[in-house]
Amino acid sequence: MNRIRLKIVGQSGSGLLTVGDIVSQGLNQLGFQLCSDREYPSLIKGGHSCYTINFANHPIRSLSHTADILVAIDKPSLVAYHQALKPKGTLIHGYERTQGIKDILDQAKKKNITIISTKARQLAHTYGGNELMANVILTGMVWKALGFELKIVQKLFEKKFQRKPEISKIAIKCLKAAFNEVKKISDIPLPTKKKTRKLLDGNHSLALGAVHAGVRFYVAYPMSPSSSILTHMANMSTKTGVIVKQAEDEITVAQLALGAIHGGTRALCATSGGGFDLMTETVSLAGIIETPLVIIIVQRPGPGTGLPTWTAQGDLNLAIHAGHGEFTRLVIGVSDPVDTYNNIQHALNYAEKYQIPVILLSDKVTAESKHTIDPKDFESIAIERNLTEGKDLKKLASSDRYALTKSGVSKRWLPGSCKTWYFANSDEHKEDGVLTEEGEEAGKMYAKRNRKLETLLEELPEPTLYGDIKADISFIGWGSTRTTMLDIIEFYKDKNISVNYLHYDYLWPLKTKMFEKVHKNNANIHLIEGNYLGQLGNLLEQKTGLKLKQKFLKYDGRPFFIEDVIEYIDKHTKS
Amino acid sequence: MKSQDLKVLAKKSDQYLEYETDELMTWCGGCGNYAIQNAVKRSLVLENIDHQNILFCFDIGCSGNESDKIQGYTIHGLHGRILPLAAGAKIANPNLTVIATAGDGATLSEGVNHLIHAIRNDYPILFLLHDNQNYALTTGQASSTSPRGCRRNAAPEGVPVDPLNPLELVLSQKPSFVAQTTSSHPDHMTDTFRKALNHKGFAFVSILQTCPTYNKQTSNQWYLENTIEVETIKKYDHTNIWDARKIVESENEKIPLGLIYQNPKKTNFLNAMENGKPRNLTKEVKHYDVSKLY
Ligand SMILES: Cc1ncc(C[n+]2csc(CCOP(=O)(O)OP(=O)(O)O)c2C)c(N)n1
Ligand code: SF4
Repeated sequence: MNRIRLKIVGQSGSGLLTVGDIVSQGLNQLGFQLCSDREYPSLIKGGHSCYTINFANHPIRSLSHTADILVAIDKPSLVAYHQALKPKGTLIHGYERTQGIKDILDQAKKKNITIISTKARQLAHTYGGNELMANVILTGMVWKALGFELKIVQKLFEKKFQRKPEISKIAIKCLKAAFNEVKKISDIPLPTKKKTRKLLDGNHSLALGAVHAGVRFYVAYPMSPSSSILTHMANMSTKTGVIVKQAEDEITVAQLALGAIHGGTRALCATSGGGFDLMTETVSLAGIIETPLVIIIVQRPGPGTGLPTWTAQGDLNLAIHAGHGEFTRLVIGVSDPVDTYNNIQHALNYAEKYQIPVILLSDKVTAESKHTIDPKDFESIAIERNLTEGKDLKKLASSDRYALTKSGVSKRWLPGSCKTWYFANSDEHKEDGVLTEEGEEAGKMYAKRNRKLETLLEELPEPTLYGDIKADISFIGWGSTRTTMLDIIEFYKDKNISVNYLHYDYLWPLKTKMFEKVHKNNANIHLIEGNYLGQLGNLLEQKTGLKLKQKFLKYDGRPFFIEDVIEYIDKHTKS
Repeated sequence: MKSQDLKVLAKKSDQYLEYETDELMTWCGGCGNYAIQNAVKRSLVLENIDHQNILFCFDIGCSGNESDKIQGYTIHGLHGRILPLAAGAKIANPNLTVIATAGDGATLSEGVNHLIHAIRNDYPILFLLHDNQNYALTTGQASSTSPRGCRRNAAPEGVPVDPLNPLELVLSQKPSFVAQTTSSHPDHMTDTFRKALNHKGFAFVSILQTCPTYNKQTSNQWYLENTIEVETIKKYDHTNIWDARKIVESENEKIPLGLIYQNPKKTNFLNAMENGKPRNLTKEVKHYDVSKLY
């Protein structure tokens, strides 16, 4: 079965979220696998929003920018999005008066588009519903058109309105009315093996992974697209016991987190690029006092306020270079809910193991795209704190804290744990933390901190290669791009073109052996990255001296859609 | 401080000496910071605070240079940022006695937002403002408490604007504990710190600190002549915010010292977050089952 591409469009605040969520949940219950995302402007009411759902009975990880079925809640959104509808597709709308959209309907007919409509508002009014009930009607229309059973969506609506029985009754009436009005248009085979999957987005799974890994203090300042991590953390807090704090600004956020980690717990904070700018001095402080720190950047396009609710991979350089002075840090990129859940655990471990700042880069699509995931893919990674505890505390000397070891990593123990205290000094210092301005001592300590980079590089895994080592076309990328590339590799499997993709989870320090191998085997090798400069590509080229054939870059706030990559591949594989 | 306290101190001299380091002091002769450090040590010993569980948090500035000159767990952070750093440590481990120290430059310019929010959140830590009316470590520029007209480095014609009054600012934010003392009066400092150490919320202590190098106007003598202990003022009620506001705002009278205001009823951050039962989060780092949370 090919993926089925659904777009629900409406003004922000029109209730398209309800339609999208109910349809997604219903599809998940039927056993389909799906990926969905919301495009919306940075405002509360008005503007066009689009809820895209792609589903199939096999894994779907990324989105198409076209639609087989377009559900339009209002006219302005229909005008904005109707061109996304493929020929022979289906348009579902609920207007009474079609004069205003005559042109669009005419065009649709030329494209052999099936039009399904009811007078949604009128229908809603007949059953005592208000305008928002029109969304229930539209949901019913899509569901029926898709050929699925009423009871699934009915139950979902009953659950949604369980605290408002009156509204629930009206909703169900509206839903049934919609079902009677519409004929089914497709015969989609239902998945045979029903598996219990969960619908989750990256921000939600990040919060879950962090809680699982023992984060006990979460602090943040709202900033799209990171804000929902704060919401999830807060909503779960009575059950998890995590202390959740919305602080006064990002400077405070980073300092509170660092202070809490220094105090001895696991703490976490998240923001987007602009907020991270304010945190950079704290990253530098963590670098010199060697207190672990984990910061999430959920990327959106900058500079400045940029595009608050859209996606980007533009902050890789920022993450690698943020903070004055030189010190070891780790930068990790995540791409989907499962790998976010797993990698946040690694991030927390690496931070403590090496006593360094770890920056985890997510982005708007990873953060907000919902995927049907198998909870079995959520790993439980052993907690590594690398703390000196118990009897070993007795053997400590203050100078163990910043001892000049070969690996660069020294012992760390918590304030209050024994009478061997140390000074965590942001001034350059000796092994016990006592300030020094003496050249030799300062130089040695500076080198010790930077030595950790080599040790860490040694431990990190090489990037992952998907597909065969030799292919007609190769790509290198990181972050959410993987979701698209995995679908692309699948797509080309039964075609005559082979594709492989080298994915970087760990972006800094940079492993290059696997890259060199892939490069050697593939002349037709391309970077795929969501920024203008090709930041990862530049790093790889600088470090290895090798050249990439071309850079496929996107920086308009949109992720790489399937069609973008297909078009690119078709262009670059014609010999 | 009473003579009785001195006897207690003498008996506990081992405890007192535990705070001493071999490091050479880097403050100028006559600097108020020496007396402040001594008074801090005295008050900790007299209050029997468990040395091992103290976290001294220092901002950047002359006062911050104490960070490796007192034994104990210390953290020397960034300029202006010590309050949230210290609050974070306290949130993680409520068993720690967290003492944060910063200058007037750090507290009232670079990090003034943190002060306001530390008061609002009532983080249960002790905060010592070393107010020497200048940026001493950067060689004596004006700070926001430098009086109008006084000359400072980079203000050769005198500071052209009015200073801000830290106590007015703090009292406007419904604090739970506000005291003022001076480095010129070690006994008064010790008593004040002891009260502050017993406070259960954010204890704000303003220390009028001498800086003979860059602030010639306020010598020890000057502070002793121009201050008045609120305990000696008839009918002064330190639980009445209006008494407190009035006394810090009256310009023609002496500068008040002592416990200016206390509201023991305010719920501190940890109690507010955890229904009065703060947990030690350092002991809670382990795997949690999240499978029922989604
Ligand atoms: C971000 C930042 N800006 C500026 C400085 C330079 N600096 C160091 S101490 C200081 C001011 C110190 O004044 P104050 O806080 O009043 O402390 P004092 O030295 O008077 O005790 C400044 C501006 C710095 N360390 N960091
Ligand atoms: S400059 Fe002032 S504050 Fe700094 S050490 Fe000297 S006297 Fe003390």
